Amino acid sequence: MNFKNSGNGEPLQPDMLERRHFEVRTLKSIVLSSITIFAAVCACLPLFSVLIMLIYRGGKRLNLEVFYSLPPTAFETGGGFGNAILGTLFMIGLAALISVPFGIMAAIYLAEQGHCSRIAQTARFCAKTMTGLPSILAGVFAYAAVVLIMGHYSAWAGGIALSILMLPMILLTAEEAIKMVPSPMREAAYGMGCTPSQAMVKVTLPVAMPGIITGVVLAVARAAGETAPLLFTALFSDYWLHPNGPTASLAVLIYNYSGMPFENQIELAWAASLVLVIMVFILNIISRAIGQRKK
Amino acid sequence: MKYKNVFKAAILALSVIFAGTGSVFAGDQVRLTGSGASFPAPLYTTWFKMFSRANPGIQVNYQSKGSGAGIRDFINHTVDFAASDAAMNDREIAQVKEGVQLLPMTAGEIVLSYNLKGIKALNLPRNVYPAIFLGKIKKWNDPAIMAANPGVKLPDREITVVVRADSSGTTFVFTKHLATICRDFKDGPGFGKTINWPAGVKIVKSPKNDGVTATIKQTPGAIGYIEYGFARMTGLPMASLQNREGKFVAPGLASGQAALANAEIPPDMRVWLSDPAGKKSYPIATYTWMLFYKKYHNPQKAQALRKMINFCLDEGQKLSDRAGYIPLPDNVVEIVHRASANIK
Repeated sequence: MNFKNSGNGEPLQPDMLERRHFEVRTLKSIVLSSITIFAAVCACLPLFSVLIMLIYRGGKRLNLEVFYSLPPTAFETGGGFGNAILGTLFMIGLAALISVPFGIMAAIYLAEQGHCSRIAQTARFCAKTMTGLPSILAGVFAYAAVVLIMGHYSAWAGGIALSILMLPMILLTAEEAIKMVPSPMREAAYGMGCTPSQAMVKVTLPVAMPGIITGVVLAVARAAGETAPLLFTALFSDYWLHPNGPTASLAVLIYNYSGMPFENQIELAWAASLVLVIMVFILNIISRAIGQRKK
Repeated sequence: MKYKNVFKAAILALSVIFAGTGSVFAGDQVRLTGSGASFPAPLYTTWFKMFSRANPGIQVNYQSKGSGAGIRDFINHTVDFAASDAAMNDREIAQVKEGVQLLPMTAGEIVLSYNLKGIKALNLPRNVYPAIFLGKIKKWNDPAIMAANPGVKLPDREITVVVRADSSGTTFVFTKHLATICRDFKDGPGFGKTINWPAGVKIVKSPKNDGVTATIKQTPGAIGYIEYGFARMTGLPMASLQNREGKFVAPGLASGQAALANAEIPPDMRVWLSDPAGKKSYPIATYTWMLFYKKYHNPQKAQALRKMINFCLDEGQKLSDRAGYIPLPDNVVEIVHRASANIK
């Protein structure tokens, strides 16, 4: 069998294609590949070491009691953070209720109606800037806009602070998802006599939905772990959830208790971290599952 | 169509959470929020939990943030009451148009806790501990420390000074004491809720009494100022300090009470024991205050707060000693009872 090398016409012998282990370029290739593999492993290392640490330290304290009891005072033993789990769920739920409709509607405008207009360009620029906004600023904003005006710390203020963080993420991912919808589908809808709103609701949005939901879930997962915006807005509470008053959350509990010198509180902080990580992990898996279904 | 189910599930889950909480806040409960000093926080949170349990209609939530943050919350009207070890100064009081009622609720000692392996007791003379915080004494085996502790094997280790990162009443009381007994400290850093510590000191800053205690515990060779209860609860050793009469006194209930006996409570309730007299007095003791508005728009809240104050004064004081605080003397309890009537 002859191989033709198109360059100089010299016949190529099969043995020339064999991999020679001690050639310089082979060695270079091996060294470079192993460096990249090493870097990839290093990138995963923090996640795994954190996970192992969390399971080891937090798992010891994780029992049923922590889910239904209130945080202990300095002198108490036992206790849990049921109110913090509920508070976190309430505030991210509220944040999602605010930011999901706003984000999706704004994304529809950006992707469909005015995608080159000045308003759209400004909005897109603002959203991109806001994704890099330090989260503590969202807290300061909600403190000035909600806490000072209402006159007390509340779960509402916490939810609003988190929604400010979630909004740009949802907006940008939803815009991308809507843009990905093939335009022939939309054109077909118009061709069959759909009005623009019918085409949007019946064709574009359902097709874009996996992408939008993935964005929403990732935004929710990020907001669940935020401490800084809640310190200024929801504060913390040792009691069950009252949306009009200070509200407990897992992130603030971890922040408060991890700095305490008391063994019981430190153990609870570890257990709360584990619970929070599991919650975020589940959300991430859900978003992956939805994203995969698209194909 | 299948995404409708995802939405339905999400909306259902949300409504369950909202409804579940809705049923809780349906009842007409008085909820009081306070924030501030970390110095008495372990005691206050215990009191308020007991009080809320005994009075189902009232719920008191206290968050420890440091005295400075508590005062700021109080001025911004984002809380119903606050707590501070530095009371409030006139400029701060002037910013509250409803008027401010300060009430001393408990007292405590500020101790110097340290982290030196194997050393359970340590004497620190009056000229030495200000010098440590000024950065003039940098090593544990400094001759001045050795001289006061014969027989103690002090290591050749640098002293790490742990101070507060936040605006703190504990810092205020501690630096006021240092400024009283040491000219260099008065002319240098001075006293206040936040301090510009001298540049030569090897310093670690940490938030709240909790943070300082944890940092001392984790840093070999560290020394820091915290409330007595924090040191006792976490098993940190505390230095005996030399008082005005030249005696070395260990912190504790008796030496704290001896120090408090020097104080006369004035009408505005602000009293400082910068350097108490008496052979048995521990040198750094202080009252700590709760801050209330004189006029509340909601009379129910004012009533609940007065009830809470009575509980702290009568039931609460019995707990103070066990928690590492000094119960208020009987005559002070009397004065505070009377003053609490100003809260309307």
